[in-house]
Amino acid sequence: MSPSLEHLQSVTRRHFLRQSSVGIGTLALWSLLNRDAEPAPPIVSPLAPKKPPLAAKAKRVIYIHLTGSPPNLDLFDYKPELVNRNGQPCPDRFLKGRRFAFTSGTPKLLGTPHTFARYGREGIWMSDAIPNLREAADQLCVVHSMTTDQFNHAPAELLLYTGSPRPGRPSLGAWATYGLGTENENLPGFIVLISSGSQPNGGKNSFGSGFLPTVFQGVQCRSKGDPVLYVSNPEGMDRQMRRLTLDALRDLDEIQAREFGHPETFTRIAQYELAFRMQVSVPEVMDISREPKQILDAYGAQPGAGSLANNILLARRLVEQGVRFVQLFDWGWDFHGTNPSEGIGDGLTKKCATMDKPVAALVKDLKRRGLLDETLVIVGGEFGRTPFREGRTAASSILGRDHYPDCYTMVLAGAGLKQGFAYGETDELGFSIARDKVHVHDLQATILHLLGFDHEKLTYRFQGRDFRLTDVQGQVVKGILA
Amino acid sequence: MGWAAEPVDFNRQIRPILSHNCFTCHGRDEKKRQANLRLDVREIATADRDGIRAIAPGHLEASELVRRITSGDAGERMPPVETGKNLSLSEIETLIRWIKEGAPYSPHWAYRKPVRPPLARVADPSWPKNPIDHFILARLEREGLKPSPEADRTALMRRVSLDVTGLPPTIAEVDQFVADRSPDAYENLIDRLLAKEAYGEHWARIWLDLARYADSAGYVADRPREIWAYRDYVIRSFNANKPFDRFTIEQIAGDLLPNRTEEQLIATAFHRNTQTNDEGGTDDEEFRNVAVVDRVNTTMTVWMGTTMACAQCHDHKYDPISQKEYFRFFAFFNQTEDADVPDERPVHTLFTEEQKRQRAQREAEVAELEKKLTMSPKETHAAQAKRLTELKARLAAINAPTVPILRELPPDRRRTTTIQYRGNFLDRGPPVSEAVPAAFHPLPKDAPLNRLTLARWLIDENNPLVARVVVNRYWEKVFGIGLVATSEDFGTQGELPSHPELLDWLAAEIVARHWDLKYLVKLLVTSATYRQSSRMTPQRFERDPDNRLLARGPRFRLDAEAVRDQALLVSGLLSRKMYGPPVRPMQPSFGLSAAFGGAMDWQTSEGEDRYRRGIYTTWRRTNPYPSMVAFDAPSREVCTARRSRTNTPLQALVTLNDPVYIEAAQALARRIAGQGALAAADKVRYGVRLCLGRHASATEVTRLLALYEPARARFSNEPEQARKMATIPLGPPPHGANLAELAAWTVVGNVLLNLDEMFMSL
Repeated sequence: MSPSLEHLQSVTRRHFLRQSSVGIGTLALWSLLNRDAEPAPPIVSPLAPKKPPLAAKAKRVIYIHLTGSPPNLDLFDYKPELVNRNGQPCPDRFLKGRRFAFTSGTPKLLGTPHTFARYGREGIWMSDAIPNLREAADQLCVVHSMTTDQFNHAPAELLLYTGSPRPGRPSLGAWATYGLGTENENLPGFIVLISSGSQPNGGKNSFGSGFLPTVFQGVQCRSKGDPVLYVSNPEGMDRQMRRLTLDALRDLDEIQAREFGHPETFTRIAQYELAFRMQVSVPEVMDISREPKQILDAYGAQPGAGSLANNILLARRLVEQGVRFVQLFDWGWDFHGTNPSEGIGDGLTKKCATMDKPVAALVKDLKRRGLLDETLVIVGGEFGRTPFREGRTAASSILGRDHYPDCYTMVLAGAGLKQGFAYGETDELGFSIARDKVHVHDLQATILHLLGFDHEKLTYRFQGRDFRLTDVQGQVVKGILA
Repeated sequence: MGWAAEPVDFNRQIRPILSHNCFTCHGRDEKKRQANLRLDVREIATADRDGIRAIAPGHLEASELVRRITSGDAGERMPPVETGKNLSLSEIETLIRWIKEGAPYSPHWAYRKPVRPPLARVADPSWPKNPIDHFILARLEREGLKPSPEADRTALMRRVSLDVTGLPPTIAEVDQFVADRSPDAYENLIDRLLAKEAYGEHWARIWLDLARYADSAGYVADRPREIWAYRDYVIRSFNANKPFDRFTIEQIAGDLLPNRTEEQLIATAFHRNTQTNDEGGTDDEEFRNVAVVDRVNTTMTVWMGTTMACAQCHDHKYDPISQKEYFRFFAFFNQTEDADVPDERPVHTLFTEEQKRQRAQREAEVAELEKKLTMSPKETHAAQAKRLTELKARLAAINAPTVPILRELPPDRRRTTTIQYRGNFLDRGPPVSEAVPAAFHPLPKDAPLNRLTLARWLIDENNPLVARVVVNRYWEKVFGIGLVATSEDFGTQGELPSHPELLDWLAAEIVARHWDLKYLVKLLVTSATYRQSSRMTPQRFERDPDNRLLARGPRFRLDAEAVRDQALLVSGLLSRKMYGPPVRPMQPSFGLSAAFGGAMDWQTSEGEDRYRRGIYTTWRRTNPYPSMVAFDAPSREVCTARRSRTNTPLQALVTLNDPVYIEAAQALARRIAGQGALAAADKVRYGVRLCLGRHASATEVTRLLALYEPARARFSNEPEQARKMATIPLGPPPHGANLAELAAWTVVGNVLLNLDEMFMSL
């Protein structure tokens, strides 16, 4: 090997060790290896951080999806009149011309079995099923007037996450990373964590990239085995041996690069170096046993458990490291009353215990670390639940509610939002929005606004049309902005 | 640019400006139209409206459009600020020049029937090998560029093997071609490749993206669906070189053909690849409608290169399709029996010949007994009835796989198709009858209005689109990017062709050749354009980064399936077993279920089924095979005309660490180590040839030895590490093998399988 080539390679090697951004590394490599040639056009990584066009309040998002949809009327939306009329036949005007998933005929009104009281400076209504969230009331922004168009799980979840009830469009997290890139290239920009044993209703579509390049899709991390697929070296190969193989690979690829002169080769070399760094950074960030005991206790997290609490704590660790979008899905919030764990009495209280404590801990933890101001936290389901008993379980001792698209509650907190604030109202029985309706497209527009985008301008051209998350609708909900 | 330039070309220069900036409010969509002005129709755009003309051909000062696009008053200027659109200075200049030249319109290029153009004239007649090259070279000469020299034989062999069969060549195949000094050596090579069954598997895989083929039903539960007989039909059709017109008719309307065969019936599963929603509480009629919508959109994308989806909800803003026309087209597909039910009715059962014989025999017995029963005296009745029940049970016990098919409803159960407002199946407008959009060529006169007629219309010689769309898709697969880059959209929002005459020449040629697809592949890969070296300089890259002008040969990343198939082939693991039920190679465990559905994890297939080509891997829509997803395989929920091609660290993790690729590295190591007495350097050379087909350079051999030797030394000191590296997951080593050596060769194999060159078609 000639001395000059050797020198060149040591330069490029040092260069790599210094660079974190793939794009700059690639460009510099090109110039180094083609010193006599003109500089190459920049090849910027699609995940390189980008500045949003508008002033952004939120830099990162933690979205906790309660798959199946919790009953808003038993948690946040207090309806004393519904309690008064518990057991009465549902008035005809609420049923006429309507379709419900599992209810026909005339169902009975169902007042909540839970006790409500007001919490925080502004007095936000909350039930006894969520005792910890009460203590975080002054940080929350509760929206009572959410509405959607879909009353089956999969279409409703897809509408919420992709703007369309059918599979095929990019998800919210994909749009965010497409628009903003990521702050830490040693980790995926969009990470998905799933608890309680089942995928979300929309399957991978709820965190997919649709027609955007696949590099923007959510990377699903596992609670057992490799947190990111294939991040561990094979058995028998330690990190030192992995380094030796990557050194050989890079040298051989550089020969190829000089031979054929394709910039894509440099990009690939850079991707392998990035993968090598991810092999350390991913297991590190995913290892919650590194957290002090009081933090683990506050969240109710247990290393190795794969619970929602663990995932919520992981979400904090991830955003702390600059991950742009952390999407959680937790199965088991479909309270039809078909079995005790899906009853809105004790079943709901038990299920809430797995969510209430870690969410409250997350909000406080983010605030304590000064991260709440730039992190948007969202908690909720894909639709609401009926103010009447579900048809199939109407005679059961376990109380349940059917799917209901017209109104439901979402809980938000953090960046750019009013704090200790409740927005919107439903009517006295909880059948319709009485004030300040927020459609899912409006929620999407607002999330993008907080991230620094005009939702009408964050578009991607596909099949001859400029697509956007909010389809052809959506208005920023100014009333909840700080 | 001076005024003396060539006249402005409406399709190339004006329509894109108007389409992008003006048609949303001044186009086809009546509901969105402002000031009752249309700029897409010349008569309206130039009409006198109370003394004002939007466009006064030849008269700039009388043209309101000129005044408005140049107005300094933000309130008057077009396009309005709130649209977020903005004309550039050069766009304004072009519009002005065009109006000055008389504002001539011409119909959208893709809606005019292609006419075979004469071959383009070139300065260097020695370069072209076939007509394609005339068009490519003429353009290069206009741009002042020269084509690249021909790629060397091994590089070319690797490129063309991957493009034609999806698999790289073996060492023996490379040697055979390199040694063949006859003038027809290359042509003969192509014929050999086209005759391989791997050809059908490769091109079927591409078609299955369009057909949105998957082994699951989609939506929430995403339960398994038995439809692999359709996948096998596609492979067999490509290998039999079925002409594309027949292939079309069989898939759209095979069930309606007179004396239709079983094969033609299976073909109709093309449109049974739509998703079925089993979620409790969903309305079957709603999702039956969604499936029909998908059939409309897919048909339009695959055969017409037309995006129809927008017209489901409103008149198409850019292309000439109204909402009413959408539902008239929808009506053709709205008369089949299938109705979003979990058992996938109607299905066809795939009895073997033996089973068919048995069934015929038992059916005859049943019929005979039933006849007897009606005539027999009471006392023998009971015994005979019992016998009949037995016979019927035996008939029903003859089991066989099934495939969902299309079946037309009987006349008394036909549905009424109506317009559905805003795409909502409950919000119904007036009834409509079957018709095709008026902007396209007409249906054959007096033909019945059914799917068979529609299928014939799609491949009608008067269809201006289909041949262009098909040849363009083939061009895209072979050259990496289509002559029309937006291969799914030939409408006014799509890109214009880079070489319009070449596109039309190829379109005319494929029709003249009776839709012979192997001929088309051969035509493309025998061109001098294709055979060029892909070497590049920074200057050449800067001049044409996407290689649209083709001054160099194609070089782009392999598709997901080919990445895995190749690793299995070079390591000697690949099974060549074809057809049959899908298989389950190793995949990581997720410990999750699909929502309301079965487990996402699966039991790995036994034996050679672990090592079949990717086309046979079980395709579950909500959880497609993860390592293929990393390499941009789609979910197949909807028709995919074009995959993206990314380059990510997650891909590196797959091919570095996925047990599938480690197993391949281990098998490769055993092939290399199995060369017995050879020196290590020669073994390195052998390994490189196995993987890349070419000979390793001295530098490469030195570099790989510099990995092998220290690795072997380390593994000698760490026997447990060596055992793991060499055997997990492949299994016990051959008798008498040196584990440290095998482990070190596995490490070398891991590097070879991750070379940039391995991922590229060269």
